[in-house]
This record gives sequence, structure tokens and C-alpha cells, in this order.
Amino acid sequence: MNILINILVFVLGCLLSVGVRAAWPDDPFGSPMWAYNIERYLGSDARVVHDDRVNLRVPEFAEDSAQVPLTVDLSAFPEAPGQIVAWVDLNPVPHLFSASPGPQPLTLLALNFRVQQATTVRVAVQDREGVWHIGSRYVDAAGGGCTAPSQTMSNPDWERHFGTIRGGAFSRAEGMRYKVNVMHPMDSGMVGNIPAFFIGEVELRQGNGQPLLLSMALSESAAENPMFVFEFGQRPPRATLWLRDNNGNQFERRLGGDL
Amino acid sequence: MISARVPRILALLVAWLAGTAAAQAPEYDLAARAIAPGIWVVEGSTENFSRGNGGNIVNTAFMTTGAGVVVIDTGPSRRYGEALRALIEETTAEAISHVLITHHHPDHAFGSQAFEPATLYMLDDARAALARDGEAFADNMYRMIGDWMRGTEVVVPDNVLAPGVLEVGRRRLQIIAMTGHTGADLVVFEPLSGVLFASDMVFHNRALTTPQSPGLLGWRAELEQLAELPVTVLVPGHGPVSTDLSPLRQMADYLTWLDTLLADSARAGLSPAEVMNAPIPARFDGISERRYELVRTTTHLYPDYEKRALSLLPE
Repeated sequence: MNILINILVFVLGCLLSVGVRAAWPDDPFGSPMWAYNIERYLGSDARVVHDDRVNLRVPEFAEDSAQVPLTVDLSAFPEAPGQIVAWVDLNPVPHLFSASPGPQPLTLLALNFRVQQATTVRVAVQDREGVWHIGSRYVDAAGGGCTAPSQTMSNPDWERHFGTIRGGAFSRAEGMRYKVNVMHPMDSGMVGNIPAFFIGEVELRQGNGQPLLLSMALSESAAENPMFVFEFGQRPPRATLWLRDNNGNQFERRLGGDL
Repeated sequence: MISARVPRILALLVAWLAGTAAAQAPEYDLAARAIAPGIWVVEGSTENFSRGNGGNIVNTAFMTTGAGVVVIDTGPSRRYGEALRALIEETTAEAISHVLITHHHPDHAFGSQAFEPATLYMLDDARAALARDGEAFADNMYRMIGDWMRGTEVVVPDNVLAPGVLEVGRRRLQIIAMTGHTGADLVVFEPLSGVLFASDMVFHNRALTTPQSPGLLGWRAELEQLAELPVTVLVPGHGPVSTDLSPLRQMADYLTWLDTLLADSARAGLSPAEVMNAPIPARFDGISERRYELVRTTTHLYPDYEKRALSLLPE
């Protein structure tokens, strides 16, 4: 009897999920995780379209599975982007980041991620109407990036460099670009005897009671010693970077340049 | 009904297995081309590793001396090494006395099992690098070329090759230790005929690779030393043999462009993905795998350029 009920629940569940998924466009890459991860990160009632204006650039193959560069260029996106969510379909923890830009239009965001195996990568950007615009790429990889010990920890004097932050501000044709490098092992917690130790919270603040330029939640798929690039379509009067890791370490730096 | 079918299915299965086993053991088609009296080169393609080419993308060479054959590099797999050895034994009756392995990359050092261990030589730093990276390279090679790698194991030569002169029979080989490509790169100059075995210090019409390169400008400076040798034939590690020094000029041009691209991009705050998509000048159209290698080089070397272009932010 119990088995019958289980089967009934399973069949109903399948029918329900088919009903929801029918509303989503097909995945051009045919990833088995397409619908599952949309539901997981955007919600089962999310409205989703493919959109090349979410210009996601990753190499076709990962030369280093622990450091795969990702750039989201939103300069062709027709409005100031809302929520941005990025994930790596076949990673043990697919989520890479969720970012909320403030009133200044975010035109570009870049960071490196890890890959555990060849996989599709997604960036979803929400518009004013609440529709998610998805850019997708496929990256081939030997893999293992999520379960390899960090290079940082194999260096006996890593603590000397821990928390060292380098940065720069770069004037663009329109707006301003910030680039920041943080020395942090970003351990995923997936390597034996090395607990999770990573920066989970990133904020770019204007100060003076002004709204945040950007707040971002990072997950285990982010690579060690992160190198962030943020570009805004208008030049903010000032910008301060604030970070916090899961051990409670906080870092705050005024970003350089002619601010 | 069922019992009558089983033997037929079995027979089909056996035939299929036998067929695939035969299909799974492709052979390298190696040819020795004479480039000077008693010196032959075995040219590979300028492609990337694939299951189609079995990693035969490399130039190996050998020469008679009157006192034993000197071999330069053993190729990407045990099967290649065995084919190379058979080719040498078809070409000359002289026994193999020295096998010089130019650096620790798999396409040059993974055929060594086919040769007597006592004949294998390598620069000391290259031996250490092979001991350190060899297993990881082997894993990657199995992934890239598959069955061609069957039976291949990493062999670290016992004999240390010292820079200077290596005298074998009538030849006095100049053993030159360089660093640009991997940190421990052997270049051999044969003064009787003027043949320069540049190995991977020189890629010709094939984009250079940088996974262990200590720096592009140091590499370029070492090439200037090679240009001073009285070279009549230049054997690059990859790409066609040349009778002039044009491959050195192509390398210097390409290294300068790469270094400038990475430095300028870092100064403009570009992300690595943007650098990987940067335009490649049309004068390099004849260089194969240039986009692929730009993606790799950006991964290997751009982070250091980026860090140098940023300033330390005080707390």
C-alpha cells in the first residue's frame, strides 16, 4: 500500500514538474540540470528567456579547473539589470553568486570559478518586469577544481599574505571599472580535513548614506584568491569594498584611483 | 528458440570485440627525413593533442656518430617510442647510445620506455620537473589521446645531462641549458653540420605554449643567444624544419606581441575572458592553434600581469 502511495506521489510529482517546465524554453546545451537549477535558484514560477544580451564569456575549455575566468558583459542589456544569479550546472554546489546592483547600472562583472567536470554555466539577469534573461556557455574541463586543495594552503607562509587586497580603478569610455584581488584560500569544504573557509559576502558601498553600488553573495564555486571586476555605466562619486568570510573576518578598503 | 539464438549472439559479440580490439590499436606512421649527413628528423603535425593524431604533434630526431646513435626526444607515448626505435633501427645499423630528452613535457618525454634506461639523459632541473608533474601530465594525456597512451608510464632518466660539450664519436654536441619554455629546456647544437635542435624553445608556424614558462621576455632574450650560433638547419620542437633563422624572428615577434597584449590589458583593467577574446594580428594567420594557446597563456600568465597593474590597498 505504501509503495502504491509512493508511486502515486512520484507520478504526480513528475506530472506537476512537467507542467511547470513546459513553460521554460529548451536548453540549447541539453543539460540534465537545466530545469532543476532554474527551479532551485530562480523559483518554480520563474519566467525565463534566453538572451544574448546577457553576454557571458567563459573559455571553451578550462585550462586550470580551479581558476576558470567568467565575465558577464551587460553593456548591451537594454535596462539597468536587477538581480543577477550565476551557477555552474554540474558542480557539487552549483551556485556561484547572486548579485544585487544598486541604482548605478552595472555593465560588467567578472570573477574566476572552479569546475568539477565539463559543464554548462549560466547567468540569469532579472529585468524590471521580473523576467529572467539567461546567458549560457559550455566549458570543457578535466575537472576536479572543487575538490583540489587550495594552492594558498600548500604555501607555509600563506597567513602572511592572507587578506592582502590589491585594487585599481579604471576610467572607461562610459563609466568606471574597479578591479580587486583578495588573497584568500576560499576553501570549498570539499577537501578532506580542510573546512569550508571562504568569503561569502561582498559589498561595494558609496557611503554617506547612499545606497549600495552592489551586494553579492558568493558560494563554494568561487575560485581562490578572487579577482573581481565591476564596471558601472556611470562614475560613482566614491566606492568602498567590504568583504566578510564565513569565519567572521571582515575586510574594508577604499578603492583606488581618482576618487 | 532462445537457446538456439544464444550461440549466434555470442559469435557476433566475439566478432565485434575482436574488431574493436583491432581498431583500438592504431599505429604511428613515422618517417625519417634526412636533413644533414647522418641526421634525420621525424616530423609531427602542428595540431593539438587528439585521439586522431595520438599526440604525434612533435618533432623528434636522431643522428649517427660512429660511436652510437644520439636520439633527441622520445615522443608522446610508449607506442610512439617503440615506433621511433623501430624506425631508427631500420635507418641505421648503429646502436643507440644516448637519448637526450629536451624537457619534461609529455609529448617529448613519454616514449622513453622504448629505450634502454642507461641511455636516457636529461638536464637535472628537467628531471625534477618530470618527477613532480609527470603523473598529472599522464592523467591528462590519457584523457586527450586515449588508447594511444596504453602501457605508457613516466620514466625519469637516471643520467644527468650537464651543459657544455657532449662528445659522441665524431660529433661534439653543444649542450645548452635554457629556461624560457619550462624553466629547464635543453637545446642541442651540432657544429659539424650546423643543425640546431631547438626543441620547444622554438615553435614554428605553431603557437608557443606557456604552462610552465617563467616569463615571456626571458624567453625572448634566450632566443637572441641562439641567433648567434652558425645555424644552417633549425629543427623546432613543433612545426616545419627551417634552413634559415626566420622561426627565431617569428618567435620573437610573437613573444613581444603576447607580452605587450597582457601588459596593456592589465593596465586597462581587462578581465581574463576579455583578453582571451582579444584580436590576434593578421601577420600571425599562419600560426596554428593561436587562439587556443592565447586562452591557455592568459590562464597561465595573466594573473601576474594583473597583480602588477594593481596597487596595494591600505586598510
